[in-house]
Amino acid sequence: MAETATILKTTCYHCGDECLTDDFITDERKFCCKGCMSVYQILAGSSLCNYYSYNDHPGATHKDHDKRFDYLSDPTIAGQLLDYTDERISLITFYVPQIHCSSCLWLLEQLNKLNPGIHYSRVDFLKKQLAVRFDHHQIGLQKVVELLYDIGYEPLISLQDVVKERSRSGNSKLIQKIAVAGFCFGNVMLLSFPEYFGLSVSEASFRRFFGYINLLFTIPSVFYCAWGYFDSAWKNLKNKVLHIDFPLALGIAVLFVRTAAEVLTHRGAGFADTLCGLVFFLLLGKFIQQKTYHHISFERDYRSFFPVAVQIIMDGAEKPIPLADLTTGHRMVIRHNEIIPADAVLLKGEALIDFSFVTGEAMPVDKSPGEIVYAGGRQMAGVIHLEVVKPVSQSYLTQLWNNDTFKSENESRIKTFSEKVTRYFTIILLIIAFGTFFFHLPDLNEAVAAFTSVLIVACPCALALSTPFTMSAVLGIFDRNHFYLKNTAVVEQLANIDAVVMDKTGTITTGTNKNIRLNGDLSAEQKKLIFSACVNSNHPLSRMICDYLNLTDRLPVAEYKETPGEGISACVAGHDVRIGSDKMIFGDLDGHNPGTRVHLMIDGHYLGNFSFGHHYREGLKEIISMPGYLFHLLSGDHNHEYTELANIFGSGCMHFNQSPQQKLDFIKKLQEEGNKVLMLGDGLNDSGALRQSDIGIAVTDNVNNFSPGSDAILDGRSFSKLPGFIRFSKDTVNIVRLSFLISLVYNIVGLSFAMTGRLSPLVAAVLMPVSTVTIITFTTVATHFTSRKRQLL
Amino acid sequence: MQPENFYYDNKIVRNFGIATVVWGIIGMTVGLIIAIQLYHPGMNMGNQYTTYGRIRPLHTNAVIFAFVGNAIFMGVYYSLQRLLKARMFSDLLSKIHFWGWQLIIVSAVITLPLGITTSHEYAELEWPIDIAITLIWVVFGINMFGTIFKRRERHLYVAIWFYIATFITIAVLHVVNSFELPVSFLKSYMVYAGVQDALVQWWYGHNAVAFFLTTPYLGLMYYFLPKMANRPIYSYKLSILHFWALIFIYIWAGPHHLLYTTLPGWAQSLGVAFSVMLIAPSWGGMINGLLTLRGAWDKVRDNVILKFMVVALTAYGMATFEGPMLSLKQVNGIAHFSDWIIAHVHVGALGWNGFLTFGILYWLIPRIYRTDLYSKKMASFHFWIGTLGILFYAIPMYWAGFTQSLMLKEFTPEGMLKYPNFLETTLQILPMHIMRSIGGGMYLLGVIVMAYNLTRTALQGKLVADEAAQAMPLAPVQTIARENKWHRRLERKPIQMLVISLLVILVGTFVELMPTLTISSNIPTIAAVKPYTPLELQGRDLYIREGCVGCHSQTIRPFRSETERYGEYSKAGEFVYDHPFLWGSKRTGPDLAREGQKYGNAWHYNHLMDPRLMSPGSIMPNYDWLITQTLDTSLTGAKIAAMRKLGVPYPAGYENKANKDLDKQAREIADNLSKDHIKVKSDKEIIAIIAYLQRLGTDIKVSKTANK
Amino acid sequence: MNIIYFLIGCSVLLALGFLGAFFWAQRSGQNDDLYTPSIRILLDDEQEKDEEK
Repeated sequence: MAETATILKTTCYHCGDECLTDDFITDERKFCCKGCMSVYQILAGSSLCNYYSYNDHPGATHKDHDKRFDYLSDPTIAGQLLDYTDERISLITFYVPQIHCSSCLWLLEQLNKLNPGIHYSRVDFLKKQLAVRFDHHQIGLQKVVELLYDIGYEPLISLQDVVKERSRSGNSKLIQKIAVAGFCFGNVMLLSFPEYFGLSVSEASFRRFFGYINLLFTIPSVFYCAWGYFDSAWKNLKNKVLHIDFPLALGIAVLFVRTAAEVLTHRGAGFADTLCGLVFFLLLGKFIQQKTYHHISFERDYRSFFPVAVQIIMDGAEKPIPLADLTTGHRMVIRHNEIIPADAVLLKGEALIDFSFVTGEAMPVDKSPGEIVYAGGRQMAGVIHLEVVKPVSQSYLTQLWNNDTFKSENESRIKTFSEKVTRYFTIILLIIAFGTFFFHLPDLNEAVAAFTSVLIVACPCALALSTPFTMSAVLGIFDRNHFYLKNTAVVEQLANIDAVVMDKTGTITTGTNKNIRLNGDLSAEQKKLIFSACVNSNHPLSRMICDYLNLTDRLPVAEYKETPGEGISACVAGHDVRIGSDKMIFGDLDGHNPGTRVHLMIDGHYLGNFSFGHHYREGLKEIISMPGYLFHLLSGDHNHEYTELANIFGSGCMHFNQSPQQKLDFIKKLQEEGNKVLMLGDGLNDSGALRQSDIGIAVTDNVNNFSPGSDAILDGRSFSKLPGFIRFSKDTVNIVRLSFLISLVYNIVGLSFAMTGRLSPLVAAVLMPVSTVTIITFTTVATHFTSRKRQLL
Repeated sequence: MQPENFYYDNKIVRNFGIATVVWGIIGMTVGLIIAIQLYHPGMNMGNQYTTYGRIRPLHTNAVIFAFVGNAIFMGVYYSLQRLLKARMFSDLLSKIHFWGWQLIIVSAVITLPLGITTSHEYAELEWPIDIAITLIWVVFGINMFGTIFKRRERHLYVAIWFYIATFITIAVLHVVNSFELPVSFLKSYMVYAGVQDALVQWWYGHNAVAFFLTTPYLGLMYYFLPKMANRPIYSYKLSILHFWALIFIYIWAGPHHLLYTTLPGWAQSLGVAFSVMLIAPSWGGMINGLLTLRGAWDKVRDNVILKFMVVALTAYGMATFEGPMLSLKQVNGIAHFSDWIIAHVHVGALGWNGFLTFGILYWLIPRIYRTDLYSKKMASFHFWIGTLGILFYAIPMYWAGFTQSLMLKEFTPEGMLKYPNFLETTLQILPMHIMRSIGGGMYLLGVIVMAYNLTRTALQGKLVADEAAQAMPLAPVQTIARENKWHRRLERKPIQMLVISLLVILVGTFVELMPTLTISSNIPTIAAVKPYTPLELQGRDLYIREGCVGCHSQTIRPFRSETERYGEYSKAGEFVYDHPFLWGSKRTGPDLAREGQKYGNAWHYNHLMDPRLMSPGSIMPNYDWLITQTLDTSLTGAKIAAMRKLGVPYPAGYENKANKDLDKQAREIADNLSKDHIKVKSDKEIIAIIAYLQRLGTDIKVSKTANK
Repeated sequence: MNIIYFLIGCSVLLALGFLGAFFWAQRSGQNDDLYTPSIRILLDDEQEKDEEK
């Protein structure tokens, strides 16, 4: 009997993975792979081992594959990536997905210790960004990236830079405005208290003093903080739309004018407190509304999937060129784990292409020379050479983006409820205002007083706040359930949909096949043999088999041979073990059985096979059974699961072999039939459909992974909650409606005061915050309550 | 580019640490002594320099500015260097700061027992020391901003913001509250009078609490708590938010200390409103601190340092909740002037400031001495006895305060005061005072144990006076706005910020100052109210010297219980000549606003000689030295002149005749006393103080109630 | 009660000062990243490594 080398389960000192072999040991520390070990050695080399003292196993697993960053030495490419550069210094911000713990932070801010050419490196933990300043005479961009790669923090570099700087400036402007508004509000409140509590006659001088100071405070709050409202109101008027900003601006203006008038003529205290409070709350609402996710991007297109540059062979030599310059006839060199950027013909090498980006299909497909390989696939085997047949922009996948759906930045949103309401609101308001004006007319003072007080009281502060506060609360609840919405408007659209279209692979099926089935039975010994053979392979199928067998004992392996796209043959403990495709085992009988079967043969005896069935996300049936919605299945691949799916969807509404363009058109068709369509997709090939649909949701198993541009991103884990989400969004819309009602009631109450023309500042000052507070509490409480009802909390 | 090597200055941290412990023990011992005097007056050892009235300010100054002050500087000098990755700006300034501050405290320890005081609570020190404080504070500021200026870490951690706020605000407060007109080297009069003086004092008084006992400690908490627990603060965003909120609201809360006084009603309500608002930002800090420890309670169980922090934060939470409650008029009506307030402040002081300081000391000393704490057992003994001490202190005082003010407000069915004699209520609560002093004693014992523990720790280790560190120098930020290319912006420096804001403040101050000092105040003036006679003025200064204001208030609130007991409630107009105001903040004895003419001169003479002759059981100490000491009249003229400068309408040239009038009035009183067979020379101090007491509240002769 | 002008003046000016400080902080990017600093302070320089238990 052959001796068995047993290893007890040890975990990698660097990444904490299980060590399958004990080949990698330094300073009596075990590592799971050469990569992890090399990282450790680098750190140990420059005495940065504190890295391991802050957390155990801080590293990300670092399985070896050769790195190609030399395209970064190309100045034009570098130029696109750098934030800043001058004759000496360059600045760049990377997106580094691996950042996850304090050790990462510590190490990445010590880069200088690894290379003095790097002057300064700083981490933004939430955004997973790393800003680096380096002297490009001492160390080039390529070297910087390679350094990061070597210590296990490979930055994600793509043409459409994932690093989002834009959002910041606008936001901080708003924060500043809020600060000023709050400051003015606070002080005005302070100086208005004397009015509220009453000043004795002897203190009349204070009344004036406070009045003037209040007026001073209102100036910045109106002309700096609230300026945006006048601006947009004016714009809207020019294109003849009545947006809520108009009555707001009107109210603010009137408040200011009247305050100024009263204070300067010593006729009264004015409405400084109301005014400043209003502005402050409005801005607060604005701030609440704009929620940004640092870690996910909704605006991705193919450019963020593709490499920045490709290696091509030009007159015998390999050289990198920017993707943009890649044209038909170029001969590309694609290495292990690199992405094929354009449709091309395979010239030489074994292609094992993983199309999961494109279709969500995790199972790699193998291509033989002469076959066309579509863009977006990732090469899993060794080096291949391909000839480009279509330039990047024309290729099968990317032509979508030339489609007009993408050309037109379609912000022709469906009118949100609030917009509809406020239109009428404004008109009615104006009518009432002028009505009161003319009613009081003979006495001009009366008339003006009444007119202004109407505009002041009816200023739809609560109205303007109800939507943002509700929506932000909802967004909060959604992303607690791993459902990330692009913006608040999406909630309302989600409520309106009546048709749901789903992509198959990766959307309703989990990206990774969980259920692997063994057809035939194996003895423990045989299992051991197979395990020992498969352990040596990085092929996803082999890994799955290993996980399935889940053994630790390994037998000595000799003559190990892995033929990409076919399988493994090896001599394990003297037995001839062959594991692989039909082609490998039975020779080439029938080619196109989708590679989801792996046959086993030991010493020439056929022992059966492993088959990898698809695994549907739980809750699928419940979703389909939701009443009142049409359901359609759009699948890119062939219909070999027809039967399984038919009894879920019903044969009528399943469509296979759909090209991205077809998917898009299908959605169009539904919309033309007057449906509001929700599209669920995951792969790039769904992007068109996602974009075309009224609301496109990208389903993904890892939010930090690539997912196509969409209105919302749904974490696979929460797939089953979809019905809950939809119902909840409907509730939300109702909540908003209710809150509108409430604020209208307040307005009516206020108007009853105002129309008489006798509106005391105190009433206004009380009414405004009270209504606002009620609305905010109502919306938050209501959303909280309903979300409980929908089991989202 | 090579990282820069530099050294953190641990020596200065150590020095401030030592000062903290030493002054802490002294201050608390004084506290214990005066606590005992409150039921055993003999504890003043029959000696004027250690009498309650004089050393109570010593206690408050020692614990606030010496104990807490040094603790703040210790924490700031430790954390600032590390947060900014830079040594303090200048070692010289550090030294000057340290020794200067200790000198100031020493001078306080000398002057206060000598009765040299402005009688402004927490600002008792006389004008030369005020100037010294200002200078040293500026030194501290330069040192701090200098360090910020040459920092190697771009981001200013929230703690630093708290430090900055502390520095600027305290500077302004101190300056504003120290406008005094010197009469002699060690005597001055406040420029503001009566109500105005009171408002300034409590605007200062409250914010001193806010910005000396709270903001810097929050800063320390935000640095040391995460370090101790080795986990980031629960929410950094919240910490920033609550910093700005706190800063903008705190400054307004002052007036709640003057509820029911003659301060305009709206100003009082204003104080109340803002005090209530304060709950939010204050609790922001506490919650943030406590939540930082969520999921680490196992750590807390076996880490005494964290235990200290937890109690500190809880105490902070309680105090900041109670504060706003106390500022509500109804509650205040009961609690004000009573022991309740003493309990309130000590929960804050012993719990929040004390325990946080101890936590920091236990964490920091072993670190800078590169060793472990000498004895964890002692530390946890300290923790437990300290906590018990706080309970033994606070609970009886709450009880005492509540009981006494209810007794004072109680009426018989016939509508008469149930306890017309103030002393009865005092005797009721003496047991609580005894328990309180026990609690204080336990707390002090704990501190002494800590002192020993830390000393042994220091001895077993070796001070790392200069701790090596390494960091990259801070390079200017280059950014490109996406649209306009290669545009470069240098970061603005905080130092400019400081200069500008200080300038603005100073300019504003003086713009505002001019009218206040020139324009006649529009307090309703009462024709009957006349300036003090020279003798009364001298008597008043004795009253100030002896710190009578520590136990006797001089303002009658508009409650029936008080008007019945003391007479007509106080009017703003009565105090227009009071530089400074002497309303007081605590009634250990009865209010004296209408004391004038209530009793004969003889009564006062005997009462001052030995209070127990007149009111058996009284806890007021004997003031027999007033009888033996001769009144120093050399300054009478100067004082009159100074008062005139401040707007008191003494006729021109009166300062020359002043002493003649003084002698005349003195002789009258002496003669009056001799009628009661009391032989006393008319140039004794007691004559002057009797003159003052007999004058109190007699300007407006309203109802003769209260006379029994 | 002119003193009130004075006090309010001081307080407002003080508040203005802090508002200015806030602007400086916002402009100079002090508030751009409101998470990382809280971790950063826990990481000490070489000298005092792994003293935490």
